[in-house]
Amino acid sequence: MDEKFDAIIVGGGIAGLSAAMTLAKGNARFLLIERGEFCGAKNVSGGVLWGSDLAKLVPEYWLETGGIERFVNHRRLTFMDEQSAFSVDFKSEHFNEPPYSGVTVLRAVFDEWLAGKVQAAIDESEHPDESFLATDILVEEVLQENGKVVGIRAGEERFYADCVILAEGVNNLLTRQIGLEKEYVPVDHMGIGVKEVLKLDSKRLEDRFQLRGRSGLTNEFVGFCSEGVEGGGFLYTNSDSISLGLVLGLKDLKAKEKTPYDILNTFKEHPAVADMISGAETVEYSAHAVSTGNIKALPSELYADGVLIAGEAAHLLLNAGKAIQGMDYAMRSGILAAETVIEAKKANDYTSGMLKNYRSALENSYVLKDMRSFQDAVHLLHQPNMFGAVPNMICDFGRQFFTISGEETPKASKMMHAAIKRNASYWDLVKLGLKGARAL
Amino acid sequence: MKFCVCIKQVPDVQASVQTGRMVLNAYDASAVEEALVITGDAGGGEIDLVLIGPSSATETIRKALAMGATNAFHLVVEDASSLDSNAIAHMLAEHFKGHTYDAILTGKQSQDTDSGLAGSMLAELLALPYATNAVGLKATGNGLEVTRQGDSGQEIIELPTPCLVSCSNDMNNPRIPSLKGIMAAKRTPITTTEAKTVAPVTLVARTFPPAGREPGVKWEGEPEEMVSQLVQKLQQEAGVL
Amino acid sequence: MIEMNSILVVLSVQDGRIKRSSFEALSRAVAVGGQHGLTVNAVILHSNASKLAAEASKYGASKIFCFEDRVFDSHLNAPLLAGLETAIEKIQPRLVVAASMESIKDVWGALAIRVDAAVLPDVASFDVNGDAVVCERPVMAAKVMAAVSSSHPRVLVSVRSGSYEATESGGESSIETVPFEMSSQTLSATLKEIVTTTGDQVDLSEAKVVVAAGRGVKDASGKALVDELASILGAAIGASRAVVETGLFPATAQIGQTGKVVSPELYFAIGISGAIQHVAGMSNSKIIVAINKDADAPIFDVATYGLVGDCFKILPLLNAELRKALS
Ligand SMILES: Cc1cc2nc3c(=O)[nH]c(=O)nc-3n(C[C@H](O)[C@H](O)[C@H](O)COP(=O)(O)OP(=O)(O)OC[C@H]3O[C@@H](n4cnc5c(N)ncnc54)[C@H](O)[C@@H]3O)c2cc1C
Ligand SMILES: Cc1cc2nc3c(=O)[nH]c(=O)nc-3n(C[C@H](O)[C@H](O)[C@H](O)COP(=O)(O)OP(=O)(O)OC[C@H]3O[C@@H](n4cnc5c(N)ncnc54)[C@H](O)[C@@H]3O)c2cc1C
Ligand SMILES: Nc1ncnc2c1ncn2[C@@H]1O[C@H](COP(=O)(O)O)[C@@H](O)[C@H]1O
Repeated sequence: MDEKFDAIIVGGGIAGLSAAMTLAKGNARFLLIERGEFCGAKNVSGGVLWGSDLAKLVPEYWLETGGIERFVNHRRLTFMDEQSAFSVDFKSEHFNEPPYSGVTVLRAVFDEWLAGKVQAAIDESEHPDESFLATDILVEEVLQENGKVVGIRAGEERFYADCVILAEGVNNLLTRQIGLEKEYVPVDHMGIGVKEVLKLDSKRLEDRFQLRGRSGLTNEFVGFCSEGVEGGGFLYTNSDSISLGLVLGLKDLKAKEKTPYDILNTFKEHPAVADMISGAETVEYSAHAVSTGNIKALPSELYADGVLIAGEAAHLLLNAGKAIQGMDYAMRSGILAAETVIEAKKANDYTSGMLKNYRSALENSYVLKDMRSFQDAVHLLHQPNMFGAVPNMICDFGRQFFTISGEETPKASKMMHAAIKRNASYWDLVKLGLKGARAL
Repeated sequence: MKFCVCIKQVPDVQASVQTGRMVLNAYDASAVEEALVITGDAGGGEIDLVLIGPSSATETIRKALAMGATNAFHLVVEDASSLDSNAIAHMLAEHFKGHTYDAILTGKQSQDTDSGLAGSMLAELLALPYATNAVGLKATGNGLEVTRQGDSGQEIIELPTPCLVSCSNDMNNPRIPSLKGIMAAKRTPITTTEAKTVAPVTLVARTFPPAGREPGVKWEGEPEEMVSQLVQKLQQEAGVL
Repeated sequence: MIEMNSILVVLSVQDGRIKRSSFEALSRAVAVGGQHGLTVNAVILHSNASKLAAEASKYGASKIFCFEDRVFDSHLNAPLLAGLETAIEKIQPRLVVAASMESIKDVWGALAIRVDAAVLPDVASFDVNGDAVVCERPVMAAKVMAAVSSSHPRVLVSVRSGSYEATESGGESSIETVPFEMSSQTLSATLKEIVTTTGDQVDLSEAKVVVAAGRGVKDASGKALVDELASILGAAIGASRAVVETGLFPATAQIGQTGKVVSPELYFAIGISGAIQHVAGMSNSKIIVAINKDADAPIFDVATYGLVGDCFKILPLLNAELRKALS
């Protein structure tokens, strides 16, 4: 083969594109391969890209019209029972100026936009004709020689590189193929995300959610939204649409014999949600696996000779209740993987001894630090009480607290007491409270 | 044989969320595919491409090059949205004054405007014999044998070269570019020139959503029950039986 | 004789008959002509033109010009182009109207160049407004409608079938035979063969009932069920691209963006997913019945009556029920 790259990236999602951008800026010669017809074609995840890494990849991206949907300056966490919704709501002008710490995106738009930026970076690099973004091609095999990864095979074509970055997302067949992860992933490490995009013209959307300019709202939901199934709901505002969906535990879903689609429909009919989406028309429905962010699910190692694993392919994701962080983790890990490759290129050493720097960089970054320190919160989220008793109790309390009935009003503490009695045992709550305090 | 395929960049009408993504007109992809098959079978030939559109349309040209075309001409018009088939045909005709081919292929229509005119307009401007709505194409030695889909069947027509054929996507399934094709395409120089626009003779005043259909009913359950419900509806309310 | 202010309607002949969609176009032209004081003439180009003109004369054209020559039956575009050019040169119409069908689509662009006209192709409606011809036509695979106009001195319009009613006017047209000759030597293209597939079945674009099959119909046994339903209802048989590609149904049966446009009273979509390119050709049907085992298939978004289930289970029952109901 006449052509050998510094790196081949498998997957044109967030992790792959972030790695590619970093390589292009570092003047490396690489090939990125995405199986979708275009970058983003197969990516359904909805949502919010947290953190500030995007500004590192695309400086002053907020001055552009394309790419992102809205800047998040308004956050809300809602507990719901069948009839009620009790929200913690925070809106701040601090969030409403660059560098923004959260932006809503539609992946079919965002990924392709980012791919365009990567192409522009390639064009400006030292080797504009020697790096490629190739779409509509499925990588079927990682090629190994003497235990070292040397390239990839797509159909009849083989391509070689000093290093392969696997950024293939949660369905990480190639990562498993080279033995960094077991063939079989335990169900309790997997969830399923379902999402609808509902179209609503921007004027109505802005009026309804009190948005100004490109500001946006994120709303997470706990409780009745998942019909008692482990998981939670989300609603994010885009330019002229709403992303609405659920992330549900696969194991619990199976145990309770429910389908995500039916739960989503019930969620949509909840009065608090129905009011927010009324008049909006569903234009897209999608479902996708999602990692639960259990640190135990991490591959046995994140690198080997000639290969690095980035993004959700490495189960890098945190879902500790207040937000899902998969895209920002994908972005940071993609950047760190590429930086490691650039270092390796300088040293002309792509052995695991060199590539382990990737692991240390991740350990030193917020990605693995947070994943470790919030493990208890992640486990807490898996407590059955969190999806039934707790939200029910909070709503019950809310109903008492906000009722003015023309009768003598009991003290709030008494109401709380009564609500707890009706919905959960003290002992359970004390346990949960203690865990919660430790977890956060 | 030496072919030139006229290709257009159109919005992706199939995208579920309107992403504003632009793609190669599906009918033109079929035309490129057919030219590749013929030059491949005949063991040689060349396939040029020509596209009128904004600079950003190079992406679409690269896609067609990656399929295996040889050269490309990009006649740049940054805002081509008001150009109708008539203007496009005149501009293409101007381009073809300086280039000769055995056959010019076009798509049977643009997926976005569904006009289906530019091909035969161009043929007339170049005084070439032509056939439209081709579903099959063969080289015969001194010309092309075109199978076209007519109103009541297929018509097999012999055209002498040089000629023009407008192609239906029912002709073939366009190949997906290989990695090697994608890389080679990126290195193929594209001849880019500022195009002189021609005034359109038709004007799109406005666009609007088509009249929606009345929402219908959907039955699920036992086939017997659904069938009797349907027959009843068709007899009574619909009154069509 | 020469009337710059007239409309000329091209009456297309297929399988020896004038298409109903041509009469629909003629009826619309007569209405527009009446409103705007434009004479409406018609032209038939066919070896049997003057006989066919007799049938056409009740639809309200002032005069029907007959170009009678065997060369028009050759399915080649050069004679049709030459004939239409001669007719337009002679009659000098402001507006030329025809039904949108493959033989017209084949020549409309070239004709426009030859007689210096603008074209509004495949319209769902048209009118004259001051010195402009205006129309509405579906674009983006019929997801969007566009209002398009042209103030060019001469405009060609082709009308989607089913857009207007064909209505008899009560009057009678005068008929004029125009001598026309075209030597086949001057034709550069030659027709080798015609592979006709419609035969004596019901014509799709004129049918009141259409039974259309998609990939869900799978094989010959499924096709037999569809054929049976069509014969019970006296319906024309349509198909999605998927089953035309497999060869289960002929290409002339294809309905949609690449195929035919139909607008029957009753349309059955059997095992058809409802891709926009298919729906583009059938969404004007009055009643749409969809049978599909996937409850989320997009075809149910346009269906009047949707049956979620296996067509191999439903069709035998439906055929039996309909036989009963119709006997
Ligand atoms: C419903 C839902 C909602 C979510 N909401 C949020 C949110 O609000 N915020 C957030 O931060 N995260 C969210 N996530 C998680 C987030 O989407 C993922 O963690 C993130 O997309 C991971 O990025 P990635 O680049 O690692 O993988 P992906 O984005 O999945 O990209 C992988 C890419 O690789 C390609 N690919 C895979 N295999 C091959 C192959 N063999 N050959 C070629 N190409 C291949 C795929 O087509 C894909 O494009 C959500 C997930 C879901 C399902
Ligand atoms: C430029 C372009 C032009 C096109 N033009 C046309 C056109 O003119 N006409 C056209 O039709 N298409 C056209 N297409 C193709 C179109 O996009 C679709 O691919 C095609 O219509 C699909 O055909 P289908 O619905 O039969 O097949 P599929 O999409 O495969 O759907 C089959 C359906 O059958 C159902 N099914 C399966 N088994 C059963 C069963 N036992 N009982 C009941 N239901 C069952 C399935 O649930 C499914 O919904 C065009 C595409 C392009 C790109
Ligand atoms: N901008 C363009 N550049 C090159 N070819 C074009 C362009 N627009 C239309 N064509 C050709 O004309 C065909 C469609 O004609 P029409 O439907 O009249 O637009 C396409 O399939 C192309 O082959």
